[in-house]
Amino acid sequence: MTDARILVVGAGLAGLAAAAALARAGHRVLVVDQALRPGGAVHRQPLPGGRSLASSAQARRWRALMAEVDAQGARIEIVCNTRFGGVDHTGTVLLTGEGAALINPRALVLAVGAREAVQPRPGWTLPGVTTAGALQTQIKTTAEAPAGRVLLAGSGPLLLALGAELVRLGRPPLAIVEAGRPFSRPLRSLGLPLSYMAEAARHLSRLLAARVPLLTGAHLTRISEADGALMAEVETRSGARRFAADRIGLHDGIRTNDTGLTDCAALPVLRLGDCREALGANAALADGRAGGEALAARLAGQPAPTASTTLAREASAQARLAQIYAHDGATRLAGLPDDTVICRCEMRTLADLRTLGPAPTTRQLRLDGRFGMGACQGRFCAEWVARIASPIAPHALGMPRWPARPISVADLLAAPDLTLGETK
Amino acid sequence: MNGTLLWNGTALPFRAGETVASALTRAGVRHFGTTPQGQARALFCGIGQCQNCLVHDGTGLTEACLLPCRDGMALTDAGARHD
Repeated sequence: MTDARILVVGAGLAGLAAAAALARAGHRVLVVDQALRPGGAVHRQPLPGGRSLASSAQARRWRALMAEVDAQGARIEIVCNTRFGGVDHTGTVLLTGEGAALINPRALVLAVGAREAVQPRPGWTLPGVTTAGALQTQIKTTAEAPAGRVLLAGSGPLLLALGAELVRLGRPPLAIVEAGRPFSRPLRSLGLPLSYMAEAARHLSRLLAARVPLLTGAHLTRISEADGALMAEVETRSGARRFAADRIGLHDGIRTNDTGLTDCAALPVLRLGDCREALGANAALADGRAGGEALAARLAGQPAPTASTTLAREASAQARLAQIYAHDGATRLAGLPDDTVICRCEMRTLADLRTLGPAPTTRQLRLDGRFGMGACQGRFCAEWVARIASPIAPHALGMPRWPARPISVADLLAAPDLTLGETK
Repeated sequence: MNGTLLWNGTALPFRAGETVASALTRAGVRHFGTTPQGQARALFCGIGQCQNCLVHDGTGLTEACLLPCRDGMALTDAGARHD
């Protein structure tokens, strides 16, 4: 028996729901988050004293969760501006930043949410081109639209939500370039939960009222710089269009954010919420709570509680959304110009990838091609490299390893070793 | 508390609780430097995943999108440094 705390990484819906469930079962919980305030991506909080753009339903959900956390008093400690470096084979965890320490937690809950997939295109590395999520982060924290003309491109419901938010702030985007054709067969949408339909209807009515062009079955094929602006070339079903923008938000879907998060035999390690399976906010909250309860039961040697039905419902809704937005965008990878950057970290191009031959092994891809070897560990290229290198049966690009992100020696030295004297 | 940071020697205002990437973006700074491979450093993912927005904070390279602003802090573009 040890009195060490349970470490939860990520102070979003899943992490805090898990922390509250664990604390209710009598455990002490340390929650760390790399951001400066709890909230995660969905409930990203405005700057102190600033205006929140959250809907009343969102605000209610967040207040209710924070009330659950507060009710546990000192059993839950939340430390922000703190990054999880990894866990070694002995179960020692490295934290850097404000809560820097080496600790031996009793269990580890990874609830670090999702990240965005962005498909490579010529010019996607230019300054001013970001993920749609980065634009959303700016909007949620500052309650202001980014300066200048904004173009949104890629695929998925996030583009509509972000576009509608820009309209609400009085700065409609130039257009939304959507690779799928989500409105082409409206009957397919009828299987979605009512809340999804209501939200989509709200976004669409805002976008239509502001006359934002919704270009579906369309692809942003090239971005270049001209006269201080970003020139975007778009292929639509009715011909080519060009847009001059100041900011371009790209988004090609959501992926679990699990790169570099290795398992460890020395302690229970759980992945919860979008970090386990990217199913959105409702599922993250339910998964966090259920996962926290299951972990508490496991640590007490009790049988696992029954699984939540919310997860199955959200999984089926997400599967239907994926059908509604289905498109052949990834097949366009093979037709990209040779000089298109695929690996952003090391500027490795499609030509560099082709040099490795028709069916490169993982070893060739990594050691000769340097794909997936940059500072992001393949988060933004591995999926595309695998598809281009072996289109029939994409193989994983080898194993990312901890540290989950580059850590400076200074940060490492600044982490006090709190494992001394702890019993395991 | 709101304050001022120095970006390549130029004073830029920031709001309390803001990240360096946010303050630079609002000030119209998009180009954060250049990587050793010649690529522009800039904000991309905004959540500490892509390592594209590294800036030099006097001690080393760090992600601008996660770094909290502090009054008087001096930041420079990372240039082609690889430390």
